[in-house]
Amino acid sequence: MDIQDKVLLVGDNPFHGISHLSQERSRVRGDIPTNPNYAARLIELSVKNGANGFMFSVSEKTLAILNILRKSGENDSLRLYAIVPYAYEYVRLACTAGGVPGLAKKLIKEIIFSGNLRAAASGLNGILRSDLNSLIKTYLLYEVSRVKRSAGKKAKLESVLLHQLITDLCLGLGLDHVLKFYIKFMLKAGIIPGFNTGNFALLVEKFKEWNISLEDVVIAAPFNKVGFQMVPSREECEKALVQLPKPNVLAISILAAGYLKPPEAINYIAQLPNIKGVAVGVSKEKHANETFKLLREKLDIKHA
Amino acid sequence: MFELRVEKLRIGVVGFGKMGMLHAGIVNALSEAELVAVCEKNGLIRRFLRKILKSVTVVDDVEKLCQMDLDAVYVTTPISSHFPVVKSLYESKVAYNLFVEKTLASNFKEAKEISELARSFGGVNMVGYMRRFSVLFKKAKNLLDQGVIGEPISFKAYAYSSDFFGVKGNLKVHTPQVGVVRDLGCHAIDLALWFFGDFRVEDVKIESIINDSSADSAYFKVRGPNDLVGKFNVSWCVDGYRIPEVGFIIEGSEGTLSVNDDELTLNLKNGKKQKWFRHDLGDQVGFWLGSPEYYREDESFVKAVISRKTVEPCFETAASVDCIIDEVLARAG
Repeated sequence: MDIQDKVLLVGDNPFHGISHLSQERSRVRGDIPTNPNYAARLIELSVKNGANGFMFSVSEKTLAILNILRKSGENDSLRLYAIVPYAYEYVRLACTAGGVPGLAKKLIKEIIFSGNLRAAASGLNGILRSDLNSLIKTYLLYEVSRVKRSAGKKAKLESVLLHQLITDLCLGLGLDHVLKFYIKFMLKAGIIPGFNTGNFALLVEKFKEWNISLEDVVIAAPFNKVGFQMVPSREECEKALVQLPKPNVLAISILAAGYLKPPEAINYIAQLPNIKGVAVGVSKEKHANETFKLLREKLDIKHA
Repeated sequence: MFELRVEKLRIGVVGFGKMGMLHAGIVNALSEAELVAVCEKNGLIRRFLRKILKSVTVVDDVEKLCQMDLDAVYVTTPISSHFPVVKSLYESKVAYNLFVEKTLASNFKEAKEISELARSFGGVNMVGYMRRFSVLFKKAKNLLDQGVIGEPISFKAYAYSSDFFGVKGNLKVHTPQVGVVRDLGCHAIDLALWFFGDFRVEDVKIESIINDSSADSAYFKVRGPNDLVGKFNVSWCVDGYRIPEVGFIIEGSEGTLSVNDDELTLNLKNGKKQKWFRHDLGDQVGFWLGSPEYYREDESFVKAVISRKTVEPCFETAASVDCIIDEVLARAG
């Protein structure tokens, strides 16, 4: 594999006010990392120190960050990994809009008023014929167009990843036909289909069982020295990693939500096989400077 | 007579909203069970479900599940419909092993009637107070039972979320009709009952924030065994809680224990201090959807059904939560 193909991604959790260690920690951090101008500055700093991409859930917040980066020309060299849907926002909307039906109505309205005629037509068809594939297509067209509009034409939307909740729900319910349709549609659109999962070992097992090629996709999953969020265990995830045909895993939660210090966390990742890259969130300028410099050195990544 | 098969348990889910999807996904991932039926009231969702869940029977009425030969049913409808749905499941003999999402019912009278139905029909029953399956709250319960902080003297409990933060006066926003105490506060009440045993409600204050008829914030004081005093604060309008959070600060004769969904801290009078995160307590599960607590909860229920043993929190235990909530609401006037 070409070493230039490796990715060092800035993660967006701090920009949404998320800390998987504790909510208290994100409350202590305050609103500074969630300010789009500050977040864009952190991404720029990270890029100067070795990052070459941005992994983000598609939300108003991250789209605002992309807009700022586009205006500064920073997007031109950035490899974008978009996660859809932004599950938190949709769960919150379901709470306030009257459950899943209320959420669906709201989303349909948004798509229609987005001006994306192809998406709107496909969506209408999907509802009239109760056709799930048309609805998936509608939704993906809508999200991709939002990203491209904010990021600009020069930005490289390398992959769209299905959010962990959707990927894992499909794994749990055995919805291989949904995953297959998604992969086919994204490949046709020239975008690498991706899967964010909390069940990496199961995903590898199921994809093999369902004859889904692991060559064509990227998988974002937790990998860290303490086995935090590695399901069912660190050992099983490591075994599944070895079985992959090529390096197509994006390691996330490498710091175990701040439980580990970067040097020990990165030493663990550096010795794993089939890692395409990592995504790390940063909330301070110091972190942006130090973490990505260290990642670049330890993972032996050449700067573009 | 109800008989259990040796193959996978056949599971049905009533109500395919976010909690229905979550439990369906987890239970179907368990090697001992499979989702075979869904009952959903919404016609559009039903039409899509029939196309997505190809090997699952989708119906519009609970009684139509009768023919499905189900071993167990999850009830994940809105709280107000738990009572009629559960009653119908028992009386139509759909299944006698039932899991009901919290709270068991929309008042104590209904909860008590459901508990009596469960006693007369038999089977395994459980209510989805999933925080009892959190490694942190479990550890806190163990430490309290071991008397590590001595005799509990007082506690402060909270249940906060930002679900309705910043939406005051927005007419398009729908808050759950059952109010914040039953919808969110029930978790803190259930944990307090689990930690300390029964208590009685004293002062209560409930506030409307979103609109005049909504119950959005609540404060209440309780008194428990050995004069233990507890204070609860519950609200879904607090900034900084993007995910609902429940926590306790417990003062004991020998020290203080603080626990919430993310961390547990022990400060003893002898100078000993200790802190645990999920990382430190083996928060591993076989399948991760939502949070690890849901997996452990569903696994416990399924194993109890297979072994025909009782599991906590059962209907009777959970009815106590509805009893406390009714007391809170009655005192608020």
